[in-house]
Amino acid sequence: MPGRWDWLKEELSGISMLTKLPTMTKFLKGKISGPDDMTKCSMCPNMCRHACPISIVDGKETTSPAGKSRVGMMIENEVLSLDRENLLPIHMCLSCGCCVVWCPFDFSVSDILRPVKTRAVEHNIVYEEFVELFDDLRENGTIYEEIEDQGDLPDDGDVLYLRGCEYREGDSEVIDRTMSVLKKVGTDPFVIYDEKCCGIPAYNTGNIGLFEDLIEDMAEKIRGSGADRVVTSCPSCAYAYKELYPEFDQNIDAEISHIVEFLEGKKLKFAPNKNTDRFTFHEPCKLVNGLGKKESMQDLLDRTGLELEKPRRNGDETFCCGSGGTTVSRLNEELSSEVARERLSELKSLSDEIITSCPTCKRTFEDNDEEVKVHDIAEIVDGLL
Amino acid sequence: MPREMMKKKDEGKVDKVIDKLSESFEDNRLSTKKTDLLSYSHDYWPISLHWMLEDKFPSIPNAVVWPEDKEEVKEVVRWCYKGRVPLYPYGGGSGVLGATVPEKGGIIIDLKRMRSLQVDDQDLLVEADSGLNGYYLEDSLNEEGYTMGNIPQSLYPSTVGGWVGTKATGQFSTKYGGIEEMLKGIEVVVPPGKILNFKPHPRTSTGPDLRKLFVGAEGTMGIMTKGWFKIWPYPERRIKLSYASERLEDAVESVRKVMRRGAEPAVVRIYDEMETKRHFYDHEDIYGKIATVIIIEGDEKIAEVEREIVEEEFIGEYKGEGPVDHWLETRFNVKEASEFVPMGVVFDTIEVAVNWSNAEELYERVIESIKPIKGVLFASAHASHFYPQGICFYFTFAGTPPRKKDAESFYQQVWSEAMKAVIGSGGTISHHHGVGRQRKDWLEDELGGGLKMLKDIKEKIDKRDIMNPGNLGL
Repeated sequence: MPGRWDWLKEELSGISMLTKLPTMTKFLKGKISGPDDMTKCSMCPNMCRHACPISIVDGKETTSPAGKSRVGMMIENEVLSLDRENLLPIHMCLSCGCCVVWCPFDFSVSDILRPVKTRAVEHNIVYEEFVELFDDLRENGTIYEEIEDQGDLPDDGDVLYLRGCEYREGDSEVIDRTMSVLKKVGTDPFVIYDEKCCGIPAYNTGNIGLFEDLIEDMAEKIRGSGADRVVTSCPSCAYAYKELYPEFDQNIDAEISHIVEFLEGKKLKFAPNKNTDRFTFHEPCKLVNGLGKKESMQDLLDRTGLELEKPRRNGDETFCCGSGGTTVSRLNEELSSEVARERLSELKSLSDEIITSCPTCKRTFEDNDEEVKVHDIAEIVDGLL
Repeated sequence: MPREMMKKKDEGKVDKVIDKLSESFEDNRLSTKKTDLLSYSHDYWPISLHWMLEDKFPSIPNAVVWPEDKEEVKEVVRWCYKGRVPLYPYGGGSGVLGATVPEKGGIIIDLKRMRSLQVDDQDLLVEADSGLNGYYLEDSLNEEGYTMGNIPQSLYPSTVGGWVGTKATGQFSTKYGGIEEMLKGIEVVVPPGKILNFKPHPRTSTGPDLRKLFVGAEGTMGIMTKGWFKIWPYPERRIKLSYASERLEDAVESVRKVMRRGAEPAVVRIYDEMETKRHFYDHEDIYGKIATVIIIEGDEKIAEVEREIVEEEFIGEYKGEGPVDHWLETRFNVKEASEFVPMGVVFDTIEVAVNWSNAEELYERVIESIKPIKGVLFASAHASHFYPQGICFYFTFAGTPPRKKDAESFYQQVWSEAMKAVIGSGGTISHHHGVGRQRKDWLEDELGGGLKMLKDIKEKIDKRDIMNPGNLGL
């Protein structure tokens, strides 16, 4: 079998060494070490533009995926100074990972640009909106002002259910329904009352120092719970615990799953569907692209027997709700809402009953449209089990 | 700030126009921020990418504006015309010839916030806004059971307006045609700020076809705000065929005969020996030969007949679906530019067209004109679009400038030799990338006295020369 570069070797065989050496050297350098990722991304004609929710909605080169990398490259090359105005396009990223799906290098623009964001934070070049967030995270350990846990949930059992800031702040109903699902599948779920933020908002904004502090605290809490199984409602939390914590040397022995992952492969006996409503669904980007569960939510929904309308953008072509990535919704609320409305318009053309599996997506859709009814998947599953 | 910036003329006038526009465009849709100005200083023209890599910005706009409807486009044109400020329409920025580079400063008008679409099932038409993303359009059509069939390699980043502006064509054009054949109606804004609407008809015999004045005009005549395009029911059958031929002329001759008999495969691609090795290195039975991949699609019965015609005419060994699947999987891969261009490798493609009678000569002459240039590492081609009358060759070259020669001069030397060879062989200098700023110097060779006529038309429409001045050499 010929090798990948045999054609080139054959082509060069007729050319004198003196002529071919400079090009060969550059070619090989390109292949072996190559330019850095930001430069590579900058040199792309935006082959993921169609998948980037910001790019589709905002319509600007500056906030397109490769466009953000170009701004990053210009900052790194000191063509642009490292200041709030120049950093703004870089922060117009939902960290949804929709770009990765289409990138031949598997680049995540969010990851590529994180070092620039981190350098900015290190130089104290931050926005007021970030300062507030950092204060809340540092002082309260959540993205909100201090959350007072309601209800009477068990603090001991065999499956640790981490509810996440969003549901702890505003949706005790989903928490109860998730606990109910976990019980119905034969586990003994419990919570920890001093649950804190997983840290991902700090990570997204480039505050790696704060992120490290938060994850040290939270990892210790999870380890201290003694659970060997952890379930989350938020796919970003699950992504942080599973993927980011080990990267930052915070290993958790317990098996961690988002609720959809947890139910995957479980024997679930659903009651016959008497619901005549038609539903549509929205797969959260962190579940699909972050945790790599491209079909899990659809598979679970298919098993419920509900009448489902599949949106055009589904699976790994899903679309962000508009609030992913922490930064856009804080720095450009209108753009965040535009992304939400773009997604809602697609979903509402199918049904006003939307099922999702992310607290942030649920809250974002509810905030942007009073007509739609947004269900967490746990509510649906609990109702049918 | 950029280390090199063009000194812009008439800053005062531009500022007045920007002030006027700021009365109607909110902050987030009119920008003079450095990040935006630098982001619109280039497109995907290798020369402009090279500038970016070298931190040089010789052409930057004074402002960027993002309209959301035709009335806003009209207003921008009106104020720019009044203030004699250059105006450059911008779509996906994936053009490879510098058509959107704001060489004289002025205002960039990015149409990407205009992106609605409407399907008319009975008339098999889609009404699409200029800024609509190519993939968004095609994927939405597919979802509803249609295809437009325009699948350029830039499908993901490009826009409908960009397709019309550059007179683009896609990988499936042998069946579905180029954008000029798909376009049935167009809405444009022309100086000094008028909206013209040429409604879609199946055909019209009402004087010269003015719709075509804007196809391939690359923003020099006006700004397309909306188009009506013909669509097809989504193909019910797709047949994939591939062949390995001993000689390039065998494969070319086979396709000529297929086309002559009236069959229209959607995709036909013939790779010369080097490109066969490059693209199909993991297909040992093809390596070193001439690979041809073919996709026939559409109505089941028609597709089967077309398959029979291809099978009867093809001179070469049948190689199954594997090479076609490989092409389908890799057809949008442009990673090599990202890997090698920043390392100093000069790399580009040149697409041209020629009638069958001169096809072989053109291929030989272009390859022979590029290869001997000092610093060139390789030159190769594949044929990618076919017609009953002829063929499009898509050449690729790579190399590094020899000592004492800068990258830009080396690049232009290769282009110059290739263009001379094309014209000398009776070909046309561009098949679907357009002209832009890279090919403008050869347009006179191509159009002869027609260039003067084009300039006269442009002057009549745009007396103050605000619409993408300098592009196409106009």
